[in-house]
Amino acid sequence: MLPFIVLGLVAGASYALASVGIVLTYRTTGFFNFAYGGIAMFLAYVFWQLRDQWGLSQWISIPLLLLVAAPILGLILERLFRTMASRTADVQLVVAVGMLAFFTALVPIIFGNDQHQLPTIFPPTRSVTIAGTVITATQLGTVALALAAGALLYLLLRWTRFGTATRAVVDNRDLSGLIGINANQVGQVAWIIATMFAALSGVLLSIENNLVTYVLPFLVIYSFAPAVLARLTSLPVAYAGAFALGVLIDVLQKYSLSDFKANLVAQIPNLLLFLLLIVLGKRLVELRSSVRTLTGAHVIGNHTRRTAVTGLAAAVIGAVAIPQLFAASTVHDIAEAMAYAVVALTVVVLTGWTGQVSLAQMSFAGIGAFTAAHVAGTHGGLFPLAMLDGVLIAVPVSLVIGFLSLRLSGLFFALSTLAFAMLMDGLIFALKSVTGGITGLNLTAAKIGPLTFESPNSQFYLCGAVLVLAGFGAVWLRQGPIGRRLQMVRDAPEAASTLGANLTLTTIAVFAGCTAVASIGGSLLAVTQATVDPSNFTSQTSLALLLAVVLGGRSLISGAVFAGGVQLVQLLPLDANVHKYLPLGVALSVIMVAQEPDGLPRVSVQQLKYCSAILYRRSIRNWLRLPAGGGRATPSVASGRSAEPAPLVGGGRA
Amino acid sequence: MPEPLLDVSGVTIRFGGLVALSEVDLQVAPSGITGLIGPNGAGKTTLFNVITGLLAPSTGTVRYDGHEIVRWSPHRRGRAGMARTFQRLDLFVGMSVRDNLRAAYEASAPGGVFGRHARDGRELVDALIERLDLTAIADRRAGTLSTGLGRMVELGRALCTRPRLLLLDEPSSGLDIGETEHFRDLLLEITRADFLGRPAPAVLLVEHDVKLVMEVCRQITVLEFGQRIAHGSPQEVRSDPAVVAAYLGESAA
Repeated sequence: MLPFIVLGLVAGASYALASVGIVLTYRTTGFFNFAYGGIAMFLAYVFWQLRDQWGLSQWISIPLLLLVAAPILGLILERLFRTMASRTADVQLVVAVGMLAFFTALVPIIFGNDQHQLPTIFPPTRSVTIAGTVITATQLGTVALALAAGALLYLLLRWTRFGTATRAVVDNRDLSGLIGINANQVGQVAWIIATMFAALSGVLLSIENNLVTYVLPFLVIYSFAPAVLARLTSLPVAYAGAFALGVLIDVLQKYSLSDFKANLVAQIPNLLLFLLLIVLGKRLVELRSSVRTLTGAHVIGNHTRRTAVTGLAAAVIGAVAIPQLFAASTVHDIAEAMAYAVVALTVVVLTGWTGQVSLAQMSFAGIGAFTAAHVAGTHGGLFPLAMLDGVLIAVPVSLVIGFLSLRLSGLFFALSTLAFAMLMDGLIFALKSVTGGITGLNLTAAKIGPLTFESPNSQFYLCGAVLVLAGFGAVWLRQGPIGRRLQMVRDAPEAASTLGANLTLTTIAVFAGCTAVASIGGSLLAVTQATVDPSNFTSQTSLALLLAVVLGGRSLISGAVFAGGVQLVQLLPLDANVHKYLPLGVALSVIMVAQEPDGLPRVSVQQLKYCSAILYRRSIRNWLRLPAGGGRATPSVASGRSAEPAPLVGGGRA
Repeated sequence: MPEPLLDVSGVTIRFGGLVALSEVDLQVAPSGITGLIGPNGAGKTTLFNVITGLLAPSTGTVRYDGHEIVRWSPHRRGRAGMARTFQRLDLFVGMSVRDNLRAAYEASAPGGVFGRHARDGRELVDALIERLDLTAIADRRAGTLSTGLGRMVELGRALCTRPRLLLLDEPSSGLDIGETEHFRDLLLEITRADFLGRPAPAVLLVEHDVKLVMEVCRQITVLEFGQRIAHGSPQEVRSDPAVVAAYLGESAA
């Protein structure tokens, strides 16, 4: 038993540092650091670069990492996210997921795609023997470092001015400002400490597993459950909880286990995360700045008749032109991208229209895909029936999830869907009987009576028809009573409920409806992909989908089409550099436009219009000597200052 | 006094160590306007939140129309005929004024968003928009309105649910003198039986403007520091020494 406890403590040491880091930044700045694993991985690579590539001694590289690299990165991040405290949960989450994607994309570009070994920072040959168990110096050192870091943080918070200030900020950020505490400084110090902990955590994890690439997934999975156990409030609970989690998992591995049970043990952190969220429920309270920004002022899904007509025209022209213009393989890729856009549509409705971030839409799509593959592929059933079966399985699952996580507010609801998605990855989609293992399932000839969907053109028309139906259906619902219900629940939930609107029912109904559509989109993906492979329906693909939709405009149907376009770029055989830099570009752009429900394209168009208006006024008009005034009012540029940013929300919209 | 429409008794609310309401009683008659006054922080809005179900009391009962409703959800109370406005405007800022009213109608109508009462709803919404002088701004987004207009929209939104009990939380704060007088006339009209051809709602009015309250209310309850210190007709309350000392002070003298 003792060897397993030791292994557990060693693993728990890294998780403890990460969990404490997450809770610390959340309490002081109000920002849930979803990207913590990404930061830790990045810093572990920095250490690898210093130590292994540049051959610096560890007495130089460790201080460089902890005292220079980590604090600088922490200060940059603090500056970037300072304003996040006053944003709504969906904006915060989108930015944080974008940050995670940024680091995930950045690391292979800077450090290459290879997996790297990290040399131990402790004497490699030393060990001690306790009660017959050999404990290496690395193991001992890892635990000792984590304990020391924890103790130092405790002393810092207990006995220093920073500690007092931190506790004041944690208690009430706005009031602390009134008694002369600079909450921003406290945030800076907290970010520096958290980033140092991330560096330490990343390095220790890499040493222990001999691979730097392990850091990210491990920290994402293992540090959230202890942080939630601590209700994102108590540092000691997060710290102790992480150690306990590490020990629990390693002790359970002592028992030789069958495949499924081994999977189950590996999924304990996700199971715990999910259960803790449900059990703690309403006791999980998000930090809210009392200074609220005007968030609801945006009209969700504001589609005018003109955009609808434009969309329909584009659909008709596309239906005629695309099969003529492009090669069969490209038509096929376009079909797959449109199937993807159907799933993206559900992200628009959930995230953009109701403000509920679901990180499990690709998992629901996966349910549809594998059901379709079983029913229409393996058993040769009719494709519409297969789609229906997928919906009939996915919707009850979503109802259960919905009812269980009913009482959770934005951030915690998103975490519960993430836990669900990771459980689907690790448990259900890992079952050979469900997904056919790593080779996947085959669905080569989906058919409706005499029609088969084998050719690219037939797939193109199938996916296109469903996308157009779903898109216009969503717009139609948006214009009617259901759309008003969504907007009222989003704008003023308390007022809506006192007027008689059932918030619970609304939320669950929307969630279930979106699940049904996601499942249908998944069935279409199964048809276009022919080989249905679990790696296309993971929690990571859900995160990527969310980012693409945010970029395209999460309040717009065109945002979903845009997300399909991003997917298409990834499918097409383009230059390798495009594929290399695309995720980084998406992540960076998402971080920039996260607050814009209309996404990058619309904002860019508005900015262009604004710039052209200035140009017109400044040059052409003067040159033509047209009289001033009249026509549309354009922003004043009289003083010759650089242009102010255009009013992005409200104003100027038809 | 006839059987009250709303009967709050012994309601206590604690936030941690702070007692926001202590053993508060309040009755609202089935018709007319009942006033609820008290200095800032007396617990008036907290009591509103208890009545509408946004807050659960630590102890005490709330009876409405013969039912014990403490365990009812806010939307169930809304559907049973309660409607309220908010001290800090809580409009559906992304919707037009007309849609604010329509959404409120749909929220309270039987069948909810799937209800088949579109025509009734449109008529009621149109009539209210006209009656509350909102025609000119009916298509403007609610988030762009001034406080005064916003209060009118909130009132219209509450009336759209055809309430039996209308709870108004400081409806005249932020209004100028002219607007306040207009509002007073409107309030009296709402509580008359023939308003829009519907039974008149009972009104519970929280108000800082003591003059307004004295003019329109039949019964007044006074809160201070979470406790009821007086209740009765305007004359009784006006001459109550505890009230004079605590609240009315110079304005009553």
